[in-house]
This record gives sequence, structure tokens and C-alpha cells, in this order.
Amino acid sequence: MDDHVKEDEQQLYKKVTRRSFLKMMGGLGLAGITMSLAGCSNSSMVEQAGGDGWLPQQYQGRGTWPAQVRGRVPIDPDNPSITRDDQKCILCGQCMEVCNNIQTVAGHYGLPLANDVICVNCGQCTLWCPTSAITERDDTQKVLQAIQDPNKHVVVQTAPATRVALGEEFGLPPGTWVVGQQVAALKRLGFDAVFDTNFTADLTIMEEATELIKRITGDIIKPLPQFTSCSPGWVKFCEYFYPDLLPHMSSCKSPQQMLGALAKTYYAKAKNIKPENIVSVSIMPCTAKKFEMQRPEMISSAHYWNKKGLQDVDVVLTTRELARMIKQQHIDLSKLPEQKYDSMLGEGTGAAIIFGATGGVMEAAVRTAYYFITQQQPPANLLNLTPVRGLDGVKEAALDVPGVGTVKVAVCHGLSNARQVLEAVRQGNAPWHFVEFMSCPGGCISGGGQPRSAVPPSDEIRMARINSLYQADVQAPRRESHENAEVLALYQDFLQHPMSELSEELLHTEYTDRGKKVREITA
Amino acid sequence: MSKGVLVDITRCIGCGSCTVACKMWNNLQYNQTAPDKGSGLNAENWTAVNRVQTEKNNEPVWRFVKYQCLHCEEPACASACFSKAIKKTKDGPVVYDVNLCVGCRYCMLACPFNVPKYEWNKTFPQVRKCQMCAGRVQTGESPACVSVCPAGALTFGDRNSLLAIAREKINSDSSYIKQIYGEKEAGGTSWLYISDVPFETLGFRTNITTTPLPHYTESILSLTPAVALGWGALLTGMYVYNHRRNEIAREEKEPGDE
Ligand code: SF4
Ligand code: SF4
Ligand code: SF4
Ligand code: SF4
Repeated sequence: MDDHVKEDEQQLYKKVTRRSFLKMMGGLGLAGITMSLAGCSNSSMVEQAGGDGWLPQQYQGRGTWPAQVRGRVPIDPDNPSITRDDQKCILCGQCMEVCNNIQTVAGHYGLPLANDVICVNCGQCTLWCPTSAITERDDTQKVLQAIQDPNKHVVVQTAPATRVALGEEFGLPPGTWVVGQQVAALKRLGFDAVFDTNFTADLTIMEEATELIKRITGDIIKPLPQFTSCSPGWVKFCEYFYPDLLPHMSSCKSPQQMLGALAKTYYAKAKNIKPENIVSVSIMPCTAKKFEMQRPEMISSAHYWNKKGLQDVDVVLTTRELARMIKQQHIDLSKLPEQKYDSMLGEGTGAAIIFGATGGVMEAAVRTAYYFITQQQPPANLLNLTPVRGLDGVKEAALDVPGVGTVKVAVCHGLSNARQVLEAVRQGNAPWHFVEFMSCPGGCISGGGQPRSAVPPSDEIRMARINSLYQADVQAPRRESHENAEVLALYQDFLQHPMSELSEELLHTEYTDRGKKVREITA
Repeated sequence: MSKGVLVDITRCIGCGSCTVACKMWNNLQYNQTAPDKGSGLNAENWTAVNRVQTEKNNEPVWRFVKYQCLHCEEPACASACFSKAIKKTKDGPVVYDVNLCVGCRYCMLACPFNVPKYEWNKTFPQVRKCQMCAGRVQTGESPACVSVCPAGALTFGDRNSLLAIAREKINSDSSYIKQIYGEKEAGGTSWLYISDVPFETLGFRTNITTTPLPHYTESILSLTPAVALGWGALLTGMYVYNHRRNEIAREEKEPGDE
């Protein structure tokens, strides 16, 4: 295609010609040319044209009927969450199926593209791909390196949902509760401190419930319903497809990012460790967390210390990557003695445990919002908010809160269900005060980084994991976020109160309108 | 009726399904560079999708360009091939016979689109390229790559009706460039492209003659038979030099290479 390259070719060609014409004539057998000139080949057109390989059945139609399930999702080579090995791809179309129909991302934007391969990083395609051609981007090397570096203090946090799924990688039944074994395994891998994202789940509730009440009472002028903001796939989805509704999004960071920010400020200060020597790792059920941690605004610790280069979370590993690391060390998770999270950022209540399930964030928020408004413990039905539990796509509840009246909430999971709720909000038909969104069907327990215990994921396994979380909630000594002693200590010693100036700096964030990357669908 | 494929560059999402389908259907090997990373064509990559970063209305945009043999109406490669390994079929595909190819690479020099590629790593290398899934096309099926495209970027059909579709599209939508690449280039090609950014910014060669190229090559080859045989023998011998030329091959540019 390039003129001068082609001329060079021809130049060289001529040089070769002149220099070695005779040599070649002498040195080479002319069998091929003799044969071809004699025309002694009788191959048919089809044979000579090549192409008799295999393609999945749906592409083999005679004629040119389009296959209903075809092709695969586009993946940017620079996608921080997922990657694909072309050699393993069989063009089955399953990734397209889940992305297009369940997450409503692929195929839901107009063409041509702007300068972005649209993807919310949810990783559901990694759960559907039958051959594991699509996987999480593997970041385990970064963690191993940090652990081996004697100058680094490596802290790790584990999300609510990994403790009911990690065991599946070691042969335990779906939903097995392995929280203590997980801590033990992390300590054996050499992490210096093992913290619980549940701690910041409780903290999120303190901040988010406060924000909700302020919106309802008009203390802050932002629209209702308030949207939850802890699922980064959901957040990016809203930024792409419903940027006009971003004012509804709670300004609270996700629990992962809150813990990251606190590890390099509150914890670093208390332990007298230089923040630049802390490596903050998280174990997440989620591939979108790999995207979230590298968002440019997630550098509160850098602002706090006024030091460039600090990032609140340094590496995110999925549950599957953690399982790989444990297996590489020949550790049998199922045989480990249970150990406890380290203190300061290690306590979590029952309310935080259920963050991992669809409806859980809502239920946790309702418990604490009730307490904040009434200064009384919530009644029993608020501790067992059945209307928002389970796998129905969109769930609703109405709660009587003395002093406020009826508070209406909705819960949805899976982004196709989110669209129903968002369309209602867009049209002004939304009766709710608060809506919980989770990107993945079933919530984080079936996030894109979880073990592939059924491919594609089954509701049976989702329910096993969910039930395990609710059971742990019932058994928890404290079931409301505002009872978390370490959270209360954090406010007393450091943040002062929810939505204080420092809380705003470390625990709240803002969003990016990505609407320009998405064209309206025309024709 | 001669078949063709219309590529609408505005609709390609860069998923690379077409490159994988090509590998599967033609039993091609994978090399280290993933097809959707812009590696261009080689003996095992008969098609490639390259990402081009360019501009539209002063906004940065990405466009993905699927590239492969354009299947010229009057292929220069075929008339350059002294052993008649390459020929244009009546259905449209320009195909070659592996039993006849002697690895001389004259087609590589003749092709105005830099398509045929050499098996540099083989002892008896041959030239390889997209054959438009001639076996499928013969039975009325679309080429493998077309059958898997999820975005509607590729349309298979009679070349004449594709030209009509393309013309209708570029005339009814002002965002398209008013050109059908392949309508006239090199005397016309079976594969046609339409785009909303100028073809030269996507790496297409736009200064190409509209006279069918065989008119030039044939005037060389239709010398006396003895001379033609001399050429042929020479070309047969060329593979001795494949190592020297390896480096040059690596520098060959494809559309979309940055
Ligand atoms: S990560 Fe989610 S949004 Fe991205 S391609 Fe996979 S399923 Fe689609
Ligand atoms: S699900 Fe996996 S194997 Fe199937 S098309 Fe997608 S990437 Fe390929
Ligand atoms: S594009 Fe090149 S290889 Fe393909 S038919 Fe035309 S001349 Fe031959
Ligand atoms: S299959 Fe279609 S959309 Fe995907 S890269 Fe090929 S031409 Fe583009």
C-alpha cells in the first residue's frame, strides 16, 4: 500500500536479478515450473481455494441468512479489566449474548464509534465464555512483587462476596462460608495486614444514609431518588447511557475506594507508616473494580498528604486470581484454621455482610437510616426486608418511618433491569426515594471476578451464595452499620462525623459524563 | 453473477470476529500478534482489523479497518503469475492453486494493494492470501468472515447490487465520503469500502490507477515464450533470497498501521 516501499521492493528485485540470474538458473531445480507449465495438476476449484475448516453451526447456513447469535464482544487491548486469548475463541457468541441481552451494553449504542470501545468492565462475559478465552486481566505478579519487597507494607481488603465463593475453587460446595480461611490464606501469602471491606461497607452506609436524609429534608439540593454508587460497572453504565441522571448518584465512593483512602491516611498515620510505602491490594468479586481503582479521581490520599503518585488502591485481584495465588503456594484453603481480620479497618456488621447480595445495600441502608431519623432500633421487619431479597429483576418496598412517612425504595440487578428503572426516572415516573443498582445479576456474589462454578452462571449457585450471606447476617452479633465499633472510633478519632469536611475529601467522589462516547442508535 | 463484499467502515466495532472466523475456516495458525492489535497481513493472517486513530469534525475518533485481498476484477497478481496458479473465478474470488504455486512472489510485486504474503519460515514457501472462501461462495454462502460479523459491517452479495446499496448509503447520509473504494481502483475490485473519514487517512492507497493493472503486466509477460520462461525460472529461484528479504517484508505497511 505504500508507494516507496513498493519501489524499494522492485529495486531490490532488480538487484537480485542482475547479480544472480545465472546462478539461480544453474542452481535450482525447475520441477515446479515444469509441472505447472505442463498443467499436470487437476485440483478442483474448491480444493485449491482452501477453506474447509470448522465454524459453529449457526454460521453454516446455506444462503446468506444471518445467524441470530453471532460474533463476539469487542475488547479494547487496553481494557484494564478483561482480556481475550483469540486462540481459545470459538466464536460461540455467548459473550455477545450476555453483553447485549443481559447487560444491554454491546449493540445498545449507535455507530460509528467515538474513540472508546464501549464496555462497563462488569466481566459477565468472563463468566459466560465457555472456553475461558475471555478472562480477567491477571495482576497477580504485581502483588507478588510487592510482597517480596521488604520496604513495602502490603495491606489487603476482601469484599463481602468473596467469602461465600472462594471455597468453590477448592472443592467446597457453592456458598460455603470461608471467611476465616480466607484471612488465614492471605496471611500465609505474606500480606502485612488483612482488612475487611465490610468495615467500609458499614462506613458507606453511614455516609450514604446521611446523604439520603439530607436529600429528603432538602439539606442538600440534589434530586431523588438517590442512586447507590458502590458497583463500578453500574456507575460507568450510568455515565455512558444515562449521564443526565448522574445528579441522582450518591456521591459516596464504593467501600473498596473508601478503604483504600483510609489505609493510606488514617491507618498510615496511626501506625506511623509512610503512605508511599503502603501497597493497597483488594480482593474483589468484580472485574470492574480494576477499572474503578485507576479512575483519575481515586487519589484522595495523594491530596491528603499533598504527595504526587499516591493511588488509594494499587492492585485489584478477583476471587479467581486469589484462588490461583493460593493454589500456586500449594495451600489447601479448606484445611486452614480460621483467622481474624486485623483491627482498625477489620470489623464488619451483618448489614455489611449482605452488601454482596442484590438488595443488601438497600436493606443495610434502611436499617441505619431508620435509626438516624428516629433514634430508635428498627423494627424486626426492617431486619428481614424480604421484599428486596431474592432474584427478581426489579424489587420494591415501602417502609413507614415515623417522622418522615412512607419511604419508597427499589432494587435492581443486571443492567437490563436497571434500564427499566432508569427510564421511569427519566420520564419522571419514579415514586422512589432510594434505588439500589448492582451491575451483575444477583449482585456481587455473581460478579465478573467470581469462580466459574457454573458456565454460564446459574441461579442455583447464586442463591447458595446469597443464602450464606443472609445466614451470616442473622448470626452476626451486630447487624446495623451504626453499631460498628471501629467505624465509630474512626469518626471519633479522625473523620468527626458523616459528611464532615474530611469525610467529603476522603470518602466522596464525582462522576464523568461519558455520554459523548455513546451515539444514539439511528436506523 | 460476480459476488462481492461491501465493508461499511462506520459500522465496524473492531471485535475481530472476522479474523478468528478466517483462521478457523482456513485452518490458519496464530502468531504472537493478536489480529485485532493491528498486525496486518501475513501468511497466516489473511485478514486483519487495524485500529486507526484519526479525527472527525475535530474530535478524535477510532476507526477499524478490515483488510484482506480486494479480489480485483482483473487481478494483476493473476496475470503476473507465470504458472497460472492464481485465477479469477466467475463468482468473484481470486483464488490460487497451492499445487501450482512455485513461491516466486511475482504476484507480491504485481499486487497494487500489497496483499499476497510469503511463508518466510518454510523451506518451500508459497504465497498465501485471502481466497474469499471460494468454496462457500460457490454454494451461495457468504465468506466465513462475513457470516460472523455481529455489527453489520460486512455485506455479501452481487457486486452490482452492492454498488447500488453503497451508492444509496453514501448519497442519503451526508456523513459518508462520496466515494466507493474499489468501484474503480485497479479497474474495480470485488470488495468495496465506504467510510465517513477520507480513505487516505485510513491507510488506503488512493493514488492508484483506475486502469486494470494486467494491461501493464501482460505487456511484459507477452514477450516471446523464451523470455517468459526465463522470467519464470528466475522467479522460481527467488526463494533462495528469502532471508535477505525477510526484513523488507517486515517493513511492509498495511492500511491502518500506525
Ligand atoms: S465486561 Fe461487561 S460490558 Fe464489557 S464486554 Fe464484558 S459483558 Fe460487556
Ligand atoms: S464467549 Fe468466548 S469463545 Fe464464545 S465468542 Fe465470546 S470470546 Fe469467543
Ligand atoms: S488485491 Fe492483490 S492479491 Fe488480491 S486480487 Fe487484487 S492484485 Fe490479486
Ligand atoms: S467482525 Fe465485523 S465488526 Fe467485528 S471486526 Fe470484523 S468487520 Fe469489524
